[in-house]
Amino acid sequence: MTDPQNILELSGIAKTFGDKVALKSIDLAVRRGEVHVICGENGAGKSTLMNILVGIHKPSGGQIRFNGQQVQISDPIAASRLGIGMVHQHFTLVPSMSVAENLFLGRHPKKFGLFSDRQAMVDRARALIEAYNFGLDPQAAISSLSVGQRQRVEILKALAFDAELLILDEPTAVLTPPEVEELLKIIATLRERGRTVLFITHKLREVKAVSDRVTVIRHGESVSIHNTADVSEADIARDMVGRDVFLVGRKGDVERSFGDAVLKLNGVTRTNAAGRRLLDAVSLEVRAGEVLGIAGVDGNGQTELAEVIAGLSTMQAGNIWFDGADISDMTVAERQALGLGFVPEDRLDRGISKTMSVAENVAATNYERANILRRGFVSSARLAEFAAEKIKEFDVRGAKPKTPIGTLSGGNMQKVVIARELEREPRLLLVSQPTRGLDIGASEFVYDRILASANAGRGVLLISSELSEIFALSDRIAVIYSGRIMAILDRADADEVTVGALMNGAGKEAA
Amino acid sequence: MTAFNDFLRAVRAPLGAITLTLLLGFLLVMMITDQPVLAYRDLLLANFDSWSNFGLFLNRAMPLALIAIGITFAFRAGVFNVGGEGQLFAGAITTTMLGVALAGLPPVLLFPIVIIGGIAAGAFLGWIPGVLKVKLGVDEVVVTLMLNTIVLLFTSYLVNQVIRDTAAYGAVSQLVPKEIWLPSLPGVPKASSGILAAVVLAVVSWVVLFRTKWGAELRAAGTNLRYAEAIGIAAGRRVIGAMLVAGGCAGLAGALYVLGIGHRFEQNFSPDYGLVALTCALLARIHPIGALFTALFYALMLNGAAYMQISTDVPRSLVDLLTGLLVLLMTARVVISRRKA
Ligand SMILES: Nc1ncnc2c1ncn2[C@@H]1O[C@H](COP(=O)(O)OP(=O)(O)OP(=O)(O)O)[C@@H](O)[C@H]1O
Ligand SMILES: [Mg+2]
Repeated sequence: MTDPQNILELSGIAKTFGDKVALKSIDLAVRRGEVHVICGENGAGKSTLMNILVGIHKPSGGQIRFNGQQVQISDPIAASRLGIGMVHQHFTLVPSMSVAENLFLGRHPKKFGLFSDRQAMVDRARALIEAYNFGLDPQAAISSLSVGQRQRVEILKALAFDAELLILDEPTAVLTPPEVEELLKIIATLRERGRTVLFITHKLREVKAVSDRVTVIRHGESVSIHNTADVSEADIARDMVGRDVFLVGRKGDVERSFGDAVLKLNGVTRTNAAGRRLLDAVSLEVRAGEVLGIAGVDGNGQTELAEVIAGLSTMQAGNIWFDGADISDMTVAERQALGLGFVPEDRLDRGISKTMSVAENVAATNYERANILRRGFVSSARLAEFAAEKIKEFDVRGAKPKTPIGTLSGGNMQKVVIARELEREPRLLLVSQPTRGLDIGASEFVYDRILASANAGRGVLLISSELSEIFALSDRIAVIYSGRIMAILDRADADEVTVGALMNGAGKEAA
Repeated sequence: MTAFNDFLRAVRAPLGAITLTLLLGFLLVMMITDQPVLAYRDLLLANFDSWSNFGLFLNRAMPLALIAIGITFAFRAGVFNVGGEGQLFAGAITTTMLGVALAGLPPVLLFPIVIIGGIAAGAFLGWIPGVLKVKLGVDEVVVTLMLNTIVLLFTSYLVNQVIRDTAAYGAVSQLVPKEIWLPSLPGVPKASSGILAAVVLAVVSWVVLFRTKWGAELRAAGTNLRYAEAIGIAAGRRVIGAMLVAGGCAGLAGALYVLGIGHRFEQNFSPDYGLVALTCALLARIHPIGALFTALFYALMLNGAAYMQISTDVPRSLVDLLTGLLVLLMTARVVISRRKA
């Protein structure tokens, strides 16, 4: 089946971890000079496949042909010698070093074959940056760059060694919408220059926007390959999940009624050590049965808002009420006992303990409620049973109760976090970025859960930088900019243009 | 059944490393002496030559095991407690001081007082670095190391100036009343029954760490503090609690040493038990039952090396070499399994 058009051909690639089958059989053909997207549900095996291509994992079966030659990719250095570069989902840069140093880390240009030649390094970095029009300062420290800029450094790092094939694993998950646009442009430029790009994303809009062809994998098998132009987003989603998926969110015309305020913030202000206001007199309320969406570009106070409400950080001024009681000085545990559920924005940071089992993560706050204790001791049988129930109910893929949660794919970890928090049936659910990194089927599931919570008469405070998500779920929309609530609009009165403008600080003077 | 599997998984790794170490060690011994088999026999088996040797072996294992079990709590809570030695000394000196000072009390009262006193002293010494870490973010390694020195010097002052037994040779205290000495292990006259406490505590610790909510919270705090906070665990309290237990176990080791083995405080009673116990805990992959076994193994080697040195020309410092090898192999194993993942 070798075709000279193809730069990369995989046939029958399989991978098992112990007795766990991550990849059953993957066939993939990537043409030279195309942008090829890999789609698939959380845990389908996308990252595993890419890690095989750059030599981080060894396949347990199958063949890899690169440029017509059959190859064994034993480690990342071998991959970069072949001309395969990868930008990982999590950044691998050294924050304290400069852009140039990071680009040539471990491969500095040498003077007299011995000393590293800083000038040559900076010059080469500058040339590279200019060649791709990336607008970076080669001598800036990584720690001073934004997420989008860091990602460009990662891309350059992969390109610095003449990668013919560039792999991007979910590069857009961490970017703000304008940064995503920039990245898509960069990908188009790379294609113009004859590079081949393999690109993983859950966002079907991006698939349509940049790719030439798309391969869908499901449960470790490649199920289809299409010319992107010939298929719709819905077709791709159906291939991924094996059924029709609708990410519709709230069904419009149903009359909705709200109760009293469950959560109320009044003049909540938080400053950092330098005295800058991260939250500036934030006042809002969430009523029973209502979803209040907080829209905003990442980094405008959303993190601080969530932490203050959850009780994880203190505020300098203002009050928080829960069901009419002032909880401003309560601990996290006391707030949770009153009925606050919290899904943090970054699951690896605050959502889970990677090395503990799925069971212990999902049970962590539910030992009493789920009857896991027997005379004060943890019944391991009951614990496993409870975890198995939740794994089934939330469709956590690739998980057994005893699996260390860190080996699950990102989306499946998220399901565990949501399962844990919903088990308490919280009076108020505080969710941050609930579908970050989730596939479309899982997102649909999370949407359903959020709406079901609201319909059951609970309040939901939804913080998301994904505008479509805010619009799909919210009854009212608050826009946050630079720590301030710019406006709170009824869903019916809000449109993407108005909200988008507010997100960028329009009408700041008026507010 | 699952408990048994967990247990097997916990001991498999150290057992493999130990076997390999002994094999490599044998090659080394072959280079040093022309009686390698005798040397190795003494190293490993002389401990079982007589009940008396066996008793001494158990006595060696007791403090190691207790301190190592305590250290598993600290490590599981994410605290790198290197203060075992100081906590041990604090327990031993407190038990001795109380025993000597309150010698007139009836034994049924005195015995619990000295035991609790020893535990409390060790726990207090664990509490200091715990609180400093939680409240002020002070590095626990520095604090525990400094406390070791302080306690060692302070006990030296006490034993030389306050409760010294002037009739005896060396820096030793007066004897504690005979009525509160621990009985020996039934059938093994030389062995103090303190080892039973270690066995019981190993099992209890496993239950506490892996079968209680408190244990789960402690491990959550140790593996991801920010997660623990977010789900409402009083993470700081768990960290301090773990250090209280760690110090308390080491303090108990000191108390039991005094009551069961030394019958008084001897300034040089510890061949660096605190540090060796740290190695035991790490080799056992921070598992309390595993720690009991690694402590037994270390005691076997420490005592065996002494017999070996007497009967052959292999120096007892071979043990240090084997220890180094063992640590190397354990860490190498970790790297290999990471590679595979
Ligand atoms: N090191 C590992 N050990 C055991 N299982 C693993 C390991 N890495 C991945 N897996 C399993 O392999 C399967 C595929 O995981 P992978 O990370 O490739 O999914 P993915 O398609 O990238 O998902 P996502 O979209 O959520 O990132 C999952 O079931 C996962 O639990
Ligand atoms: Mg992935």
